[in-house]
Amino acid sequence: MLKTTLAGLRARTARLVLSSIAIVLGVAFVSGTLILGSALDANLHNDFARQTRGVDVSVEPGRSSSGSADEDRGGISQTQLDQVRAVPGVAAADARWGAQVPLVGANGKAKSATVSALEGDQRLRMTDLQEGRMPAKADEIALDATTAQTAKLAVGQKVSVLDQADKPVPLTIVGTYTQGVSKSSLSGDAAVLLPSALAPLAKEHYVGQVVVAADQGVSQQQLADRISTAVGGKLSVKTGEQYTVDVLKQISRGSGGLTQFMLVFALIALVVAAMVIYNTFTILVAQRTRELALLRCIGADRGQVFRSVLLEALVMGLFASVLGLGAGVGLSAALQAGVGSVFGGSKGPVQLPLTVNTVLIAFGVGVVVTVLSAVLPALRATRVAPLAALRSLPDSQDEVRRTSVVRMAFVAILALLGGGVCFIGLRSGDSVGFIVTGLGTMVLLGAVIALGPVIVGPVNRVLGALPRLLFGVPAKLASANATRNPKRTAATTAALMIGVTIVTMITVAAASGKESVTSEIDKQFPADYLVTSAVREHPLPTSLADQLRAQPEVQTVTPTGSAEVKVNGKSLYLFGTPADSLGKSVQLKQSQGDVSRLGPDTLLLSDSQATRYGLKVGDRVRAGGATLTLAGTYSNEDQSSAIVSLETLQRIAPGTGYRMIMIKARDGVSPQAGQAAVEKATASSPIAEVASGAARKSDLAGRVDQMLMIMWALVGLAVVIALFGIANTLTLSVLERTRESALLRALGLTRGQLGFMLLIESVLIGLMGAVIGVLLGIGFAKLVVSALSTDKLQVGFVLPAGQLAVMLAVAVLAAAVAAVLPARRAARTSVVAGMAEA
Amino acid sequence: MSALASDVGTRTAVAARDLVKVYGKGDTAVRALDGVGVAFAAGQFTAIMGPSGSGKSTLMHCLAGLDTVDSGSVHIGQSEITRLSDRDLTKLRRDRVGFVFQAFNLLPTLTAEQNILLGLELAGRKPDQVWFDTIVDTVGLRDRLRHKPTELSGGQQQRVACARALVSKPEVVFADEPTGNLDSRSGAEVLDFLRMSVRKFGQTVIMVTHDPVAASYADRVVLMADGHLAGEIANPTADSVLAALRHLGA
Repeated sequence: MLKTTLAGLRARTARLVLSSIAIVLGVAFVSGTLILGSALDANLHNDFARQTRGVDVSVEPGRSSSGSADEDRGGISQTQLDQVRAVPGVAAADARWGAQVPLVGANGKAKSATVSALEGDQRLRMTDLQEGRMPAKADEIALDATTAQTAKLAVGQKVSVLDQADKPVPLTIVGTYTQGVSKSSLSGDAAVLLPSALAPLAKEHYVGQVVVAADQGVSQQQLADRISTAVGGKLSVKTGEQYTVDVLKQISRGSGGLTQFMLVFALIALVVAAMVIYNTFTILVAQRTRELALLRCIGADRGQVFRSVLLEALVMGLFASVLGLGAGVGLSAALQAGVGSVFGGSKGPVQLPLTVNTVLIAFGVGVVVTVLSAVLPALRATRVAPLAALRSLPDSQDEVRRTSVVRMAFVAILALLGGGVCFIGLRSGDSVGFIVTGLGTMVLLGAVIALGPVIVGPVNRVLGALPRLLFGVPAKLASANATRNPKRTAATTAALMIGVTIVTMITVAAASGKESVTSEIDKQFPADYLVTSAVREHPLPTSLADQLRAQPEVQTVTPTGSAEVKVNGKSLYLFGTPADSLGKSVQLKQSQGDVSRLGPDTLLLSDSQATRYGLKVGDRVRAGGATLTLAGTYSNEDQSSAIVSLETLQRIAPGTGYRMIMIKARDGVSPQAGQAAVEKATASSPIAEVASGAARKSDLAGRVDQMLMIMWALVGLAVVIALFGIANTLTLSVLERTRESALLRALGLTRGQLGFMLLIESVLIGLMGAVIGVLLGIGFAKLVVSALSTDKLQVGFVLPAGQLAVMLAVAVLAAAVAAVLPARRAARTSVVAGMAEA
Repeated sequence: MSALASDVGTRTAVAARDLVKVYGKGDTAVRALDGVGVAFAAGQFTAIMGPSGSGKSTLMHCLAGLDTVDSGSVHIGQSEITRLSDRDLTKLRRDRVGFVFQAFNLLPTLTAEQNILLGLELAGRKPDQVWFDTIVDTVGLRDRLRHKPTELSGGQQQRVACARALVSKPEVVFADEPTGNLDSRSGAEVLDFLRMSVRKFGQTVIMVTHDPVAASYADRVVLMADGHLAGEIANPTADSVLAALRHLGA
């Protein structure tokens, strides 16, 4: 029996290779994702390792018994650092701290950069020098390699940072470095200064960690104990080993997200691949009915027939897994190169760590999916009666059975389940509801797939009407062929339908989301332009408002500011806005008292803030040097939590600059001219950053589109697999219909017409999948969008008709391409040979 | 009809001259046809007979333009079909030739009526309703027209195939073992119909068979052996054919 199976495999190699492409692609996706995940993990490990290398003892501010975060504010003091340095056995101890400092780029505009104090001791540095050297003098700076690249700065150039009064401090770039992952490196631009140079630039000098290197012969534990005694119980002291363990714990949260995200799409691809394999084996078994029956006649039992089909699947799965794993390595390399170029980082060389797990999972997935997909067809093979060998079978019709009670019951259960889950999701109305609804739609998709064999007939009659009318006999035959075997057509269609449904769903949901977010921006952008500070801690100078008012293009200028004050012992951020802006740029939903007016001593609070500070309307509070009266509270939480008039703010915190300046242009001023005027007025301030609603919208739209492209690419693979499925089904059908094709040729069908017939059949199958998929996708997107919609954010439903039309066109075109090889094959067979074939 | 009938025995419908057909190359080459020359009169029912491997099926395929020849020529009416391109051959099959095969004669997706009219539709011709009715009534399929092939018996299927071959009024109908898959009663029905089409409508029919009983329905039997013409019998009976075959086999 084994020999027979292997001989069969050899004889059918070409067919099996074509079918296994589906599995190869699926396995490649899974293994590629896993390899990418391992590579990212390895990168993270390397990066984190740099943070902990050379550290024998780490000293951090301890949690005091009162547990208040405010008490840690001082961090580790210089005295404590000195105490640590004095402990015997300490070879070196350095404070690790940093601050946000505005770094002025080549374009004269400042960007906030995380500047770290350079560790004095070489062993304790977490940076790797790339070029030049580290700063040795106060007027020298070293830049993170990526930062230097983005800002177009090179070693030897002059650069400046802004001090707290926004005065430029000139520095020379002496080196570039790469650094390990830490809180600071994730936030973008980074640089290193000597601690003495950094101190005057920083608003607060908070030291969160002191790292210590031990002398030779002193163990980490010994040193940690000594330091612990020396600095008392106020600081927490841990060994380098413990520190490393703690740091690595953070990694699990690192690459997990991306890997899981991609594995979801890999799963979709695998489901589609499984359907293609199932279909292939069903057809192969149907075509081999005679052969299998002959085996039964000779004396093979049902088990042997079953095993021979499964063995075939096993060999195919193994073969496909090997290829898929190879393709996965390539895919991962391509992805890493792609990710590196998209996010503009010199992320280092492409790594391809092939773990045992990845190999096992790749083979497991490839083999298990293939074998499982072949189980049903194999069972069907066992039902072939020995007598079938003696009959001539014009068509593999044994599987052509229409509806069954079991099927309809199954469909009903799935539909009810999916509908129920969607209903629950829609009712819950938060972010979980959105995911629940999404799951519900997938169950509904399952119901439609199960219903497939029942609906392909009617759908085909509708879709086939036009070609039947236009193209005559070949189209009529094609249309009849497309549904002669409803189960086969349904399975082929379903593979494509899954991909198209998901793509449509994502596209429509994204378009709806984009639309509602842009309209949200319109609401939130009461002004034409916004000037904000590029550096959070550095407010805009008040003179900027006057310069803006001087521009002829500008109609109104509305500055706002903010300051932190202590109220009842807790800090409160006050938002200052011109008194006349209430009801215009600042719209409040009154809940208690009066929020329509801002007097000199008026304070307005959001409901939650009023509760938090224990204040009622009419209460008086001391803030800074002023006494304020709580005049009213409001319920909209999207507004700032505490509002006073701008003049009041200036009184409470004199010298505070503006946080934001809103500008309205005069009527008739073009957006470009307005933008130019605002930029001209703010050119003198390096920290002023100009934004407009239009720019923000196009920026956001760009990001949504980019995300959509990535999703399209990910789901695209499932669609490609499905198209292979169509090509595969057609090829097998052509083989099955060799005699029929020959008969048609004998009756006068030209070669061209025969090919055309297959082309139409393929396009019809493709259209069925695409049309049902698009319709389902739109419906599902509607459900998901309404689940996403909350009181705060109303998401409207938008149909990106253009994109959907393109998708349908691509599906039709791809289906036509899928028919090319089968059609050529069918046309090539000679009439006599075709008729002679058993 | 009368015009056709007057042609009986006088006009040549199909003629082959010095036909050579070789399968394979070098040592394994088989000369399936080795210089065959034969003519078939219009309005006659001719059977081609011979043992397995005698070349009778190859001869029919070449006569019908289904297969190419290595040398020699075939004429259907005035046209030399051995010179035609694939496109012209297709057109010839569509318009001037009818086929009945041993098995797998019908498209499973089409009804009996659609199968009968398929050839005409491919040619883009309108069926002659009177002629269609005549044929359908002659083969006795009036109440089966809307059935799919799987719902018909083997004999009925073959009669549908015969009706399809005749409905386009071809110059010649080629039948390849038309009774090979049928029981003797169904076979007799099909043969009766073929003979009747010759007698009644003046149709030219060329049939390949290995069954002496089937051959006895023909007006003339052409015998083949080893790629050569091995004789012929006019007005054959089952016995005379059997005797001739026994002679060939020896």
